[in-house]
Amino acid sequence: MNRNVLTLVIGAVLVVIFALLLFVFQVRKSEVAVVTTFGRPVNNITEPGPYFKWPWPVQNVYKFDQRVQNFEDKFSQTFTADNNTLLLSVYVGWKISDASAFFRKIPGASVPAAQQLLEGILRNSKNQVIGKHPLSELVNANPADLKFEEIETNILQAVVSELSTNNYGIEIQFLGIKKLGLPDSVVQTVFQRMTSERQVLISKLQYDGEAQATIIKSAADRQASETVNNAVATATRIRAEGEAEAAQTLPTFERNPQLANFLLRVDALKQSLDQRSTLIFDERTAPFDLFRSLPANPPSQ
Amino acid sequence: MKHDHDHPHPHDHDHDHGHGHGHGEPTLAAAAAPTPVLAEDASSQALEEALRSSFFIVKLAMVIMVLVFLGSGFFTVGPQEKAVILRFGRPVGEGQKALLTAGLHWAFPYPIDEVVKIPITESQVISSTVGWYFTTPEQELSGEELPPGQGLNPAIDGYLITADRNIVHSRATIHYHIVDPLHYVFDFTNASVAVQNALNTALVATAARFKVDDIYPDNIAFQDAVLQRVTELADEENLGISVELGDVHSIPPRQLTAAFTQVTTARENRNKLLNDAQSYKNQMVSSSSAQAVTITNRAATDRDNYVKSLTAEAKRFTDLLPQYEKYPNLFAQQQLVLAMAQVLTNVQGKMFLPERQDGKPRELRLQLNREPPQKKTGAAGQ
Repeated sequence: MNRNVLTLVIGAVLVVIFALLLFVFQVRKSEVAVVTTFGRPVNNITEPGPYFKWPWPVQNVYKFDQRVQNFEDKFSQTFTADNNTLLLSVYVGWKISDASAFFRKIPGASVPAAQQLLEGILRNSKNQVIGKHPLSELVNANPADLKFEEIETNILQAVVSELSTNNYGIEIQFLGIKKLGLPDSVVQTVFQRMTSERQVLISKLQYDGEAQATIIKSAADRQASETVNNAVATATRIRAEGEAEAAQTLPTFERNPQLANFLLRVDALKQSLDQRSTLIFDERTAPFDLFRSLPANPPSQ
Repeated sequence: MKHDHDHPHPHDHDHDHGHGHGHGEPTLAAAAAPTPVLAEDASSQALEEALRSSFFIVKLAMVIMVLVFLGSGFFTVGPQEKAVILRFGRPVGEGQKALLTAGLHWAFPYPIDEVVKIPITESQVISSTVGWYFTTPEQELSGEELPPGQGLNPAIDGYLITADRNIVHSRATIHYHIVDPLHYVFDFTNASVAVQNALNTALVATAARFKVDDIYPDNIAFQDAVLQRVTELADEENLGISVELGDVHSIPPRQLTAAFTQVTTARENRNKLLNDAQSYKNQMVSSSSAQAVTITNRAATDRDNYVKSLTAEAKRFTDLLPQYEKYPNLFAQQQLVLAMAQVLTNVQGKMFLPERQDGKPRELRLQLNREPPQKKTGAAGQ
């Protein structure tokens, strides 16, 4: 008897599990789902969790990945407003925002079909937006003239408006220019231009270096001579000070100019007759006057 | 839909089995009883015994299976990962609390719970080669590259267009870590591709506002601008990451390597010229200031000497004055004789001309060739 109750409980549990599996479905966090009744969408589920449904063939559940998917269009030619040919590739992060619209509008409700659609929309939008801007707004050293981000925003707006007009249930999270290039023939001319620009730069560097060096050197020369000249001026001033100071001693000599004069002449005599001179003298020159006459009486005053 | 259908089957089987065994004993016994009518009691008892023991083994196996079923709910989270439990598809816990850290955890087995593991290494690395010419990883490793072709093939060779419409190759690598793992995993099919695209567009957009000479040779300002743009984009696009550091390396097109090398050489030459000029300047400044100091010092010395000697003269004068005033003539002669003594000691040539006996003046002829004339001819001969 006991065993029968246990058996019944186990059986009931299994029946419940089986029923749950038939009548309940899960929507994972990364998913959205559409429930159809006999093929007609009736319920759009955006929140994760368990949900009820009638078993097949009454109701069907279609689940979609609602995460942001990466897509980029082909690296294709486009023309700028000033008729330059550019190669441009745009990347987008897109997601399914409205599962029922996506289910209705996209053939097979498949991601590749959606990306094929996106490819066309991206190409149109980028051709349309790039065609309104000259190349100088895509590449420019002056931030005021550069409109790179504005162009990206404009492409994004064009794509978004196209998508919302047709209500594809697709939302663009972000868009950016992934790659920018030039056609092969243009690359060749760019290479030639770059080479000549390099040559110009080389000669400029050469002459500029020489000119700068000359400027530095002549400035140094000028500075040096100025320093020396200043020093000479200072030296003259110092000597003049010395002379002025020395002039204070003149009154001393004025007490007897005769003696001063005499002493000066004696000193001059001493200094002028140095080792390299030859002195010719006769006996009248002191002290050789000794030869002529010995001193007699002291000379009277 | 397919999923929903698949699963009932294995359970169906389980169910059948469980049922079969639950009733197995009486059914089999009933079936066995009528067939061997002449069977002995002992043999039927033995059969029953055998069935009972095999039934016990099956029950044991079932219990073990249930335990294994429940035990399969245990899982470990490694040190480099986090995990999230999805119960009926919905994360258990809110926000950061939903993240399970390293250790042993338990969840209900499928289909109630699903464990999603998120690898969180210390930092993730992603590179952009959108601006780099075509190389294979093998070539990259061996360092041998194909020689550059005539031009650049737009299909495979990447490059960047600079603000002055030059072409450069640049590649960037960034390290980032995942700030919001739930967002990273559940809101992106492949978030690392989104990060890479952000890096690509950052490179293209930044190159569009830098001149080629501000990009090559590698310029830290360009690198910073790229990294800043990536960081901004990661915020704008809400990627749930934080860029830690990065590296941008640029080279000129390989077809133009020679021209760019010449510029580098010219730049180095210029720097050398400027350095030489600078060192000449330094030398001139220091030598001239040394000279200036010498000149002023000499003047100061001269001044001091002059003043001192005059002061000394004055003192001597003052000392001598009383004597002179007493005996002017004697004093004068004394001084003169002293001076002459000194002069005659120093003078090299001394010629004494005694007065002629007749008192007439003596005629004296001097050949003034103290400076040897051969010096002049010597200079001319050279």
